[in-house]
Amino acid sequence: MIELPERTRRVSPSRLLELLQRYDCHSLVDPFMGLPTHLNYLKRHGISVHGGDLLEWFVRVGEGIVVNDQTILRDSEVAEIVEMLPGRIYSVDMFKAWEGVFFTEEQCVYLGVWHDNVRNLRSDGQTGLAILGLWRAFCYWLQKTQNPDDMQDIQPSELAWTYIRDTECVVGTNLRRNTVRQGDVLATLGAQRADALFLAPPARNSFRSADARIWMWEAWWQGNPYFNIEHAYRDSLLGARASEIPAYSRALSNILAQADDYRTIIVQTTQNRLGDFEPLVRNARPHVEIVAPHPYEIYLIATK
Amino acid sequence: MTLFQDTGGDPRATAARLADVLAWYGAVGDAACGNPSGFALRKAALGAALAETVSPDEKERPAIAFAGLLHAIGAIGNAAFKKGGDRLSERLARIEAWDVPAQGARICAAMGALPEATPDIVRWQAECWDGTGFPDQLRWHGIPRSAQCLLLADVFLRAEDPDDALATVYLRSGRSFGPDTARAFASWFHLNGGNAPAPVLPIDALAAAPGDDLALLDAIAGRVDAHNGVPGRWQRVHALADATAAIVGVDAAQRAALGLAARLYGAGELYCTDVEDAQFDPLARMGIDERAKNAGAAADLIADNATLGHVAEILRARAEWYDGTGKPAGMKHGEIPAGSRVLAATIAFDTLHEGRSSLRSERGAPMQRIDTAIGTQFDPLVVRALLTATKAHA
Repeated sequence: MIELPERTRRVSPSRLLELLQRYDCHSLVDPFMGLPTHLNYLKRHGISVHGGDLLEWFVRVGEGIVVNDQTILRDSEVAEIVEMLPGRIYSVDMFKAWEGVFFTEEQCVYLGVWHDNVRNLRSDGQTGLAILGLWRAFCYWLQKTQNPDDMQDIQPSELAWTYIRDTECVVGTNLRRNTVRQGDVLATLGAQRADALFLAPPARNSFRSADARIWMWEAWWQGNPYFNIEHAYRDSLLGARASEIPAYSRALSNILAQADDYRTIIVQTTQNRLGDFEPLVRNARPHVEIVAPHPYEIYLIATK
Repeated sequence: MTLFQDTGGDPRATAARLADVLAWYGAVGDAACGNPSGFALRKAALGAALAETVSPDEKERPAIAFAGLLHAIGAIGNAAFKKGGDRLSERLARIEAWDVPAQGARICAAMGALPEATPDIVRWQAECWDGTGFPDQLRWHGIPRSAQCLLLADVFLRAEDPDDALATVYLRSGRSFGPDTARAFASWFHLNGGNAPAPVLPIDALAAAPGDDLALLDAIAGRVDAHNGVPGRWQRVHALADATAAIVGVDAAQRAALGLAARLYGAGELYCTDVEDAQFDPLARMGIDERAKNAGAAADLIADNATLGHVAEILRARAEWYDGTGKPAGMKHGEIPAGSRVLAATIAFDTLHEGRSSLRSERGAPMQRIDTAIGTQFDPLVVRALLTATKAHA
């Protein structure tokens, strides 16, 4: 059975918005965005947001909820995603490798069907929304493997339907340009200009203990159940090249040095890692304010 | 003039009084977003009780109680519930309403007396395990268990009966609630027979300083007026009512109660869709029912409040007419509390003076119009004193 971690990274966009407003920032770049629901929140509150990540499915979701200003999925379109369509040939065996290990046979068939249906959507915005909704159904299944008696059995198409329909309510415009891109941190940094840079860097070697719900969904999106997240991170700045403490610190210093054009840098960290980050940030900027609402949610706000 | 009796430096009495003002704040928050009466207090009690089973952190329990009490204060001033201006579409209103917890958290963070964890429990009270909650769309273990306690309490209190609540929590296990949390709820439910505890606030957890209560009361009254689209109204009404009461010779205790009433009466208008001066001329008999309803609502919000309850009588009687034809009780002359007679005339004057432009211009000067209602709607003595007070103000 799969192990789901007991800790989840917490990014609180409402708190981030308060910090941005305090520092009079109206645009933000997040090169480690992960699932960009926080960028969606900031966008809905008028901030121009630009995100980047190495995993493609995060970027696809960003196209649905960050870049996309108005496209939603209507009932008929959702129906065409969640169920097998007559006349279409599906690769129902695509995720057979997961059968009996993580999922039932029926669930694996649905994963194949959903994969094909989503790949056939024409709009990037709709694709992003569908990926987000289906991911939540996928997470529900994984959670249920851990707590089979505590969670209700829900028909796969009904579960997916509910979650995809739910994504509609976060689509909206801020009348500003918002972007997402797939790429390493320095590429995202160089591609955009904004008032603030938000950094929530992954911990050293974190790709080795990545949440299964994250990397398995990338595997689903790639259509490759044997996908290994290490491939995605191997050549990245904070990937295998930064597996040792000095290399990791050098990589972070490099990012901070490259961020000279940003008026404000907000680094989110935890009490445990504060000692590693604070000297680097203070070395890069003369003024650093620490906002620490929780031991596991600490912000270093660096200005010139 | 002091509005509250001196506590003699007793910190517990100071904290108890602040807790009463907070309880009123919670009730006002409920009124702003349409929750039933007493919801916030029940949520506070149940949230804290659930925490004993669900949340491992004992230190957070008082914070959960206060977070439950203040869960809806972010609705006061939120665009989804605010009065005046264009109505939002249903979708936009829903999105705006998602910000109620974050707005509530900001207000709680500004109150130094509350336990430290309170603001973030308020902020994350509506987050769901699967990431579909609001405002932050946190997911899984990123949501504190203390915040999940409040969501459980909310579901329980909104259910038609306790068994429905149990079924709902099971249906939403893995979606709104973590499976462990849902299991802990089931355990609490069976141990307690699904009975919600009686509301008791942990006042010892408040770090109250003398004067906090009145400062908070002023802040709430200001927010209520801004929400109702009549910013600064309580201050105008209070200044004029106090001056009028002094001229009439109202005793100090009644004047103190009147001072509180000026801060509290606006909360009665939270239940209606528009403030009363937007609906009726304050001198029109047609508006009596609406005014009496608002007066009753404001009185009901404090009826069981140990610190503020004595003002309920003044608030409830402010829609009575001097000649006995008012509502709700048809009291006349001296039967109407002096504070109510002063408050009624002052509110009417303020509405004619500061209210919508048609009231200000169409039918003559405010004082002339108030004059026409002497002996019928208003006490002649009060109107003469009000005239003197307005001249002094001018």
